[in-house]
Amino acid sequence: MTISLQKLRNSFEEAGYICDENTALTVFLALELQKPLLIEGAPGVGKTEMGKVLAEILESELIRLQCYEGLDETKALYEWNYQRQLLRIQLNRELGEEQIREEDLFSDRYLLERPLLKAIRSEKRAVLLIDEVDKCDPEFEAFLFEVLSDFQVSIPELGTIPANNIPVVVLTSNNERELSDGLKRRCLYLYLDFPEVDKEVQIIKAKVPGIADRLAWETARVVAHLRRQADLRKKPSIAETLDWARALVSLNCNCLDGKTVAGTLNILLKTRADQQTFKQEIGIDGIDKTLSQGGNGGEICGCR
Amino acid sequence: MRVPLKDKISGQHLEENLATFTGLLRQEGLPVGTTEMIDALYALERIDIASRRSFKTALQATLVKSRRDQAVFSRLFDHYFVPVEEHRHRAEEMMIREEEYARQLERATTELQFKGEDLQLSLEELGQYSALSAEQRTRLQDFVRQTENGHNVEPRFKPILENIVKSHLRYCRSRDNQQNHNTVSTGNADGAGTGSDSPGNDMLREIDIEMISASDLPAAEELLKSLSRKLAIQILRRRRSGPRSGPLDLRRSLRDNMRFGGIIFNLKHKPKRRSKQQIMLICDVSASMKSYSTFVIHFLHGLHEVVRDLSCFSFSDNLEDLTTELKGRANLKQLLDRVIRHSRTWGGGTDIGAAIEGLAEKHSDRINAKTTVIFVSDTKTVKLDQAVIKLKKLKERVKRVIWLNPLPTDRWPDYRSVGLVAEVVEMWPCSTIAQLEEVLTGRL
Repeated sequence: MTISLQKLRNSFEEAGYICDENTALTVFLALELQKPLLIEGAPGVGKTEMGKVLAEILESELIRLQCYEGLDETKALYEWNYQRQLLRIQLNRELGEEQIREEDLFSDRYLLERPLLKAIRSEKRAVLLIDEVDKCDPEFEAFLFEVLSDFQVSIPELGTIPANNIPVVVLTSNNERELSDGLKRRCLYLYLDFPEVDKEVQIIKAKVPGIADRLAWETARVVAHLRRQADLRKKPSIAETLDWARALVSLNCNCLDGKTVAGTLNILLKTRADQQTFKQEIGIDGIDKTLSQGGNGGEICGCR
Repeated sequence: MRVPLKDKISGQHLEENLATFTGLLRQEGLPVGTTEMIDALYALERIDIASRRSFKTALQATLVKSRRDQAVFSRLFDHYFVPVEEHRHRAEEMMIREEEYARQLERATTELQFKGEDLQLSLEELGQYSALSAEQRTRLQDFVRQTENGHNVEPRFKPILENIVKSHLRYCRSRDNQQNHNTVSTGNADGAGTGSDSPGNDMLREIDIEMISASDLPAAEELLKSLSRKLAIQILRRRRSGPRSGPLDLRRSLRDNMRFGGIIFNLKHKPKRRSKQQIMLICDVSASMKSYSTFVIHFLHGLHEVVRDLSCFSFSDNLEDLTTELKGRANLKQLLDRVIRHSRTWGGGTDIGAAIEGLAEKHSDRINAKTTVIFVSDTKTVKLDQAVIKLKKLKERVKRVIWLNPLPTDRWPDYRSVGLVAEVVEMWPCSTIAQLEEVLTGRL
């Protein structure tokens, strides 16, 4: 399925994924050039979500490979169903059937497909999400080269299996370690940063129905202020902003003040150290000051 | 829709321009290969190249593969791909500038004369003189005049005067470079990037730690904090091992499969051995290492906030254990105070051998096959040969010894100590934050 840039932009919007022009264009190019897309950025900026949304837009199956240290090809590519093969041999012997051939044992019937093979053999173009690729070992990263450049895999017993349909590949990385040049060279690159305040307001409005304009704006503004001003170990992600916005809506808040922020801070800041940092570096007064600056972004609120 | 480039722009040489541009990127250290260039050309066929923004994004997505390189790309792109109007405007400006420059050189030659003769200065030096403020130029002219009018000043003094003027100009240039660097490295403080990876910090990563000025210290400390967190993630990362990660456990496999009549139906594997890294950081705080040591202590403190199981020592002519202070959650100020003001080791001479001996005698419980010892030192020490022998012995007892040397690599051959130590342990340069980051996140 080919998709125009304009349609892709609209589809992102319809799917509630708010992104800027550059992001949409880079994704469009990855689709057009049939190249894997490597997305880097801080945790919670929407990297994994991009894979999910693409699957939704392209009406494709999402095949996800979660990377971790120690991940090997038996978990990522394929594995022979050893138990089933043994049972087959045993049954053959018990039932006195004709001698089983090696090719029969190493056939599709006994092959356990893992995400990479599944994506390659998929009848319909699938979206393959290789999540947190920086967490896997460098050896596994090298193993990915064949899949990502030639869209084929080699299984010694079966030979080389080319892709039925070249999958849309999205790799995400939190940049915990530098990826190899070989992997990067095979991908188009996209860096997702935390969104600007107005973009985050749009995201909040799209994902939290019923939120007041002013609350959405103030929420985004406070979160941006925390990310920028406080020396936090873990800056609040978009997902945390949305959780916070939902919590504020359920508390019937129409606007924010320092006290409300301090009372619900544990939704945004998940460690004691970060909460302490907030108290020391910003505090209730800092939030009130931030909110009083730069206009209210919406209607006048009477709930204070 | 794909439209071949030749149909998009006629009579122009976009491919050649792109090749030149990728050449510039390579000169700046970006790993741009032919594959990337071909990708870029394919990408341009699929976008509206009349839109500068789309054009830039397409090139960025295909040619640049890291956040850090994006800043370099952006700068070069803005200089290289200039709109026609802007290009014309720049050409006119350039012509005016060149005329002005020629006038300035002429004036400089007239102003810098000794007994009616021009001083032998290169065009570059004359240019540097012209770039000085009016006040600085007057001061230099006054100096030349006073020398010229002094007692017993003969024409043979001219080369001496030339050398003085040249060194003064060199000094002015290095000072201006430093100031420019400071402006660049702090200029992005309010930029959109909220992480420590923001491009404004790149300069800071690359300059020698010794050259980091006081105004850059907060930004540098931020970088070190982020680096210590990165390293902590690496150390603490949960190792998930698959069920077949360990070697085959034959005994358990046989026992488990006895119920199947001895047919090995379920394979049993030994669990993967998980070894916890123990890190011992030993930092040289002798006089020659002072400026680096302050940074390393910043880094240490940041690291200890996230990794508790870390042994830290400082040494000069003897060893001092900092682990207790760090475990006692001393804040950075207290720690620096403790090390700088009250330490017996701070600013002293260096005896690496004595430090290693102290380590082996008093802290032998922490030295075992799981320990990785990291030294931060320029290797300058008294009793070098003894120190090397002791280092060899230490290496045999631990898993790994890494030596971080703040001396620039081109100066390593000048010191015998560097060669001897590098023969025994692996040595990496760490004169910049970028190098420290590379070693700690890539080599450890």
